Amino acid sequence: MRLSASPRRASGGVDAVELDAPRAFARWLAANRRALGDVLEHGTWLDRDDVNALLDLSIPGIDELLGILEIARLSESDYERIVIDTAPTGHTLRLLAAPDTVAAVAEILDALQEQHRIIRDQLARVGRVEASDRLIAMLAAQARDTAERLRDRRQTTFRWVTLPEAMSLAESEDGVGALEQSGLHVDAIVVNRVLPDGAPCPICDRRRAAERRVVATIRRRLGRGRSVLLVPAQLREPHGQRGLAALGRVMAHGSGLMARRSWRKAEPSAIDHLPSAISHQPWRGAHSAAPESIAAFQRASLLFFGGKGGVGKTTVSAAAALRIAKADKKRRVLLLSTDPAHSLADVFQATVGDTARRLPRGPRNLEVRELDAAHAFAARRVQLEAALDEIAAAFGAGAVSASAGSTPELVKLAPPGIDELFGILSVVDARSAYDLVVVDTAPTGHALRLLEMPDAAREWTQVLMRVLLKYKSLVRPGQLASELVEISKSIRALQALMRDGARTRFIVVTRAAEVPRAETARLLARLRALRLAAPAIVVNALTMSPGRCARCRATAAAERREVSALRRLCRGRCAMIEAPLAAPPPRGARALDEWARRWRQPDSSQGHKGQQRTQREKQEA
Amino acid sequence: MFILDSILIGSLRFVLEKVVAAAEAEMNDDTALRDQLLEAQMQLELGEITEKEFARIERDVLARIREIKRPQQGALTMSPEDKITGVDIESFEPDEER
Ligand SMILES: [Zn+2]
Repeated sequence: MRLSASPRRASGGVDAVELDAPRAFARWLAANRRALGDVLEHGTWLDRDDVNALLDLSIPGIDELLGILEIARLSESDYERIVIDTAPTGHTLRLLAAPDTVAAVAEILDALQEQHRIIRDQLARVGRVEASDRLIAMLAAQARDTAERLRDRRQTTFRWVTLPEAMSLAESEDGVGALEQSGLHVDAIVVNRVLPDGAPCPICDRRRAAERRVVATIRRRLGRGRSVLLVPAQLREPHGQRGLAALGRVMAHGSGLMARRSWRKAEPSAIDHLPSAISHQPWRGAHSAAPESIAAFQRASLLFFGGKGGVGKTTVSAAAALRIAKADKKRRVLLLSTDPAHSLADVFQATVGDTARRLPRGPRNLEVRELDAAHAFAARRVQLEAALDEIAAAFGAGAVSASAGSTPELVKLAPPGIDELFGILSVVDARSAYDLVVVDTAPTGHALRLLEMPDAAREWTQVLMRVLLKYKSLVRPGQLASELVEISKSIRALQALMRDGARTRFIVVTRAAEVPRAETARLLARLRALRLAAPAIVVNALTMSPGRCARCRATAAAERREVSALRRLCRGRCAMIEAPLAAPPPRGARALDEWARRWRQPDSSQGHKGQQRTQREKQEA
Repeated sequence: MFILDSILIGSLRFVLEKVVAAAEAEMNDDTALRDQLLEAQMQLELGEITEKEFARIERDVLARIREIKRPQQGALTMSPEDKITGVDIESFEPDEER
């Protein structure tokens, strides 16, 4: 069914709503524009036009901020229980920090309003509370109440959903740890898509063994004081009310896998020590397509890899960067992760941090970096405070000064949106030092935010420059002005680079299943709207040689159908790359290298045409 | 000779002081010009002026900055902070005069 922006009945007793943050913000703004505009006009020397230009800017991190305001609003309605499906790990942590950002914003607005309040109350002797005062009080209250409600165990519980994979395990440990540290209680761990028992099969057996080990580790490290629920993998992903209800019953009764003895403890088996089993099949109707040989990957200077959470983006981008670097030792390659929930270190089984470094025994021309946006933000705090002071001065908002102490909160926090902002800044920085930057992005929604960031940042610099020019007789355009000019120039260069399909490409990673496919369709449409070249789809974890195993055969058949549907979606504009299922997934440079050598491209794939198309689109643009 | 030289040095010091004062004043002019250039850069980024218009403004401003700098550089090979005291006159005499 289609969900709307306001709650709609999904089935008896259950309403559902999908938050469309930009639209929700537009609605919120429409209701509060006057009050908010008043505050900004009172607290600065900006006029109504300036203020309106500011209010119409798109705000990085708006998803998280609005998410929090919507949660606040809905929890005041008469629903008995609200179930929130959050964004993948990294951004959920930002969402949960959002009340503090809302509170900081309320504080700034309050400081801006203060001068006006004094004049109004003492000089004009009007003791009247205005809409703007009410707005500020409401924001502050919502931030406070939501923060309290989220941390109150009787009102809020958190269920952590993960996959039985070593990589998800590390992410879960980090995520659950961060939640507990910020005072949120995680009362259950749900392990999804666990392979149930079945007949012997070389692939399924390896998967079961690996999954069992992960589940045992989850119990040991995260299970204390929490329930651990296992949800069996189904041949078809459950959807529709009946499928979902059945899944809900399994979870509610702890039946299914949990009841089985074999899941209660992991028996180490000899199979664990074998290299990962790669589902393999002779090249019938397909040809070998190792990353370095894929036209869509060649001669690019910027390759983004993105897709739905859990499809194996990081594994795919890591293998691609590794093989591309090995194939041409003269090309300096950077693999950069902009997902706040990093997994490059887990994929390479090596230490990876915020400074680019070579992998032990990896190619010398490949460097790897996991962006730590919160750290980058904190490290630039002094500059940010200075910039905010200059902005406040340019706006004539003397009451609001970061270094004077009325906006310290905003600078102290890692506000929502910084991952995308610093993500795009680090891409700009890396451009001069590397021939190719491979970006492992956060799951879909936030990858799109990252790609939209240059446009949003350009708008911001423009509005700020207009204000500086307009009030230049009052405040000399100084450091801020020259920085804005520099930023504006680099953004323009980046925009040109990103819209040049010969240099920048977005590689969509997906799995051959219904839900990831639907998300791939939406992602492709958005990429087209952003004028970004998407010349290839990597279909990951395909069961290529099902053998006699009934489960593998059924899975393979379902996957073939999904691959056909994906190809239709491509409409001849992109190459279809098929990456085989490996059980367990490849870890470490050697395993990644070996695995990516087995990628293939069906002969019918229109990769070549797709490439030409990219060129033509470039010429048209 | 000695008197002539001391007059020369005296006037050199006078000129020097003048130049230092002027340089200070001109530094301010220089700042104003730099602001003007920065404003033009912002206008260019905003699309309020064309590349061509910007190039013209840039040329003008740079020419004026050079003009300010020229006398300063011609007069001084030492820094304005250097004090001229107890000069060894002999060393100032060019070889051909001997
Ligand atoms: Zn099997």
